Amino acid sequence: MHPIFRLVNRNLTISLNMGFVIWQVIFPVIYIFVAGFAYTALIHNVPFGSKNLDYPAFIASGMIGFNIMNSTLISGIIIWNDRRHGMFEQILVGPFTRAQYILSNVYTIGIIGLFSAGLITAIGYPLFFKSVAFNVFTVPLVVFASITGAILFGSIASIISTRLKSSEGFNVIINTVFLFFAFVSTAFYPAQGAPPVLATAFYLNPLTYLVDVVRAGIFGNFTDTVGYEMVVLVAAAVVLFGIATKLLSRLEI
Amino acid sequence: MLCIEARSLSKSYGNVAAVDSIDLSVESGKIFGFLGPNGAGKTTTIKLLTTLIPSSGGTVNILGIDASQDPLAVRKRIGVVLQQPSYEPTLTVEKSLEKYGMMWDVDARTRRRRVEELLSAFDLQDIRKKKNDDISIGQRRRVQVAREFMHDMDLLFLDEPTVGLDPSARRGLLDYIKGKVRDGLTIFFTTHILEEAEYLCDEIAIINRGKIIAVDSPDELKNKFGREKTIKIRVGNVQNISDMLQGAGSYEISCDEGTVITIHSADSEQVLVKILQVLNSNNVTVEDLSVVPTSLEEIFLTVVKNSDTGTLGEP
Repeated sequence: MHPIFRLVNRNLTISLNMGFVIWQVIFPVIYIFVAGFAYTALIHNVPFGSKNLDYPAFIASGMIGFNIMNSTLISGIIIWNDRRHGMFEQILVGPFTRAQYILSNVYTIGIIGLFSAGLITAIGYPLFFKSVAFNVFTVPLVVFASITGAILFGSIASIISTRLKSSEGFNVIINTVFLFFAFVSTAFYPAQGAPPVLATAFYLNPLTYLVDVVRAGIFGNFTDTVGYEMVVLVAAAVVLFGIATKLLSRLEI
Repeated sequence: MLCIEARSLSKSYGNVAAVDSIDLSVESGKIFGFLGPNGAGKTTTIKLLTTLIPSSGGTVNILGIDASQDPLAVRKRIGVVLQQPSYEPTLTVEKSLEKYGMMWDVDARTRRRRVEELLSAFDLQDIRKKKNDDISIGQRRRVQVAREFMHDMDLLFLDEPTVGLDPSARRGLLDYIKGKVRDGLTIFFTTHILEEAEYLCDEIAIINRGKIIAVDSPDELKNKFGREKTIKIRVGNVQNISDMLQGAGSYEISCDEGTVITIHSADSEQVLVKILQVLNSNNVTVEDLSVVPTSLEEIFLTVVKNSDTGTLGEP
């Protein structure tokens, strides 16, 4: 087996336990089925291209991007734990190169991102099936967004994990950053109608672009704006992945 | 055949030379002990030899491979137990061994067989289902060392492998290592417990302040640097023995159980003769006389002290 796949196998084994899978399901289910229906009284419909989505369908599709972001925290946690528990050095004195270690993390977060997107799509499907427009053009869009978003957020988590030295610091920073991403985005509410400053802030957040592209894939609403958003998503993923790779290659032993 | 050949190997951090132009030659099928005080450069040397960090100068050949040219080829043929603990906290002991074998591309059947062998050899059967996070530091260290034997290798680096182990586990590990060496494995071994080095090593190098200050077999090191012998004479309870032995040479007297005269100097034999003459002329009966063999620890302390005071090479 190729060294990268051996490391991916190892990464998935140490990351995917029952607790993680339950967290991956329970957390979004609460958002989709509790917050989704509870807020319906306040937000009846959300205009989305030519469609008018009900709020549970809107939040269920938003949760796909949200869950991809959350699950790719794994990438940072793997690197952090490897450094903290000595496995980073141990792997690098084994039959692996740093490049293979880095690529194995990319593959791992790609797989987890897709798994996460598939899981939430399955959970949310009963809510948005009326408006779904899955076809050969839209499904690849969701897959593209899942992988690009996973690499983007995985890179952010990796960057944080390479810069911090204490567990407390790592937890505080990662939770603060990801909390900002989660709530200053279009994952939970539309940008239309939000105060202008907040609406602008939404578009300084990569999760908004990820969620918008995922929604475009689910509801078949590909526009020029979505095209631009895909470009921004790819550019941000490339830059952040480059930074993460550089930091990981320079990580002192 | 040489398994490790380092020439003028150096590593500097700014102006500080952690490893200062050292030469090392380690023969295949031997256990090579690498000793030194804290911060002497042992771990940095291991990191250089295992290609974990690049050198600032010099050359390293491991198993005939130029380590700077093809570090991955070197790493594929060596095993390394680093000084710091390394483990996967969420995995059970047996899963750790199994996954480590998988990472080294060991086939599934061999992995299963080796897991069982190592669980027995390292006395890990009772904790095989426990997670690494839930076992003691010593048990974790045993898993870390056992794990390295999941894959085939020609050369194994052990950086203080017995830290945290109880005496029984320590002896078990040393005997396991000896068995592996009989099967052809070469070991590069660092420790602070000098009895271990004496028990295990065919050859020993002592490093201090980044420089190798002595290399030889344990016996030859003792011959070279162990001229100060310790001789103990027990004489029962004798009054005024200090006055009696005045001018007989360098010695110490303790009176715990009877009177014990301890001679410790480079000319112990001459002092012994003088003391025996005095005791004889005063009709004092010698109850017991013993020569304490020079330990590697004494040699180590002497060599390092000489190196620190700039009197290296003067036993």
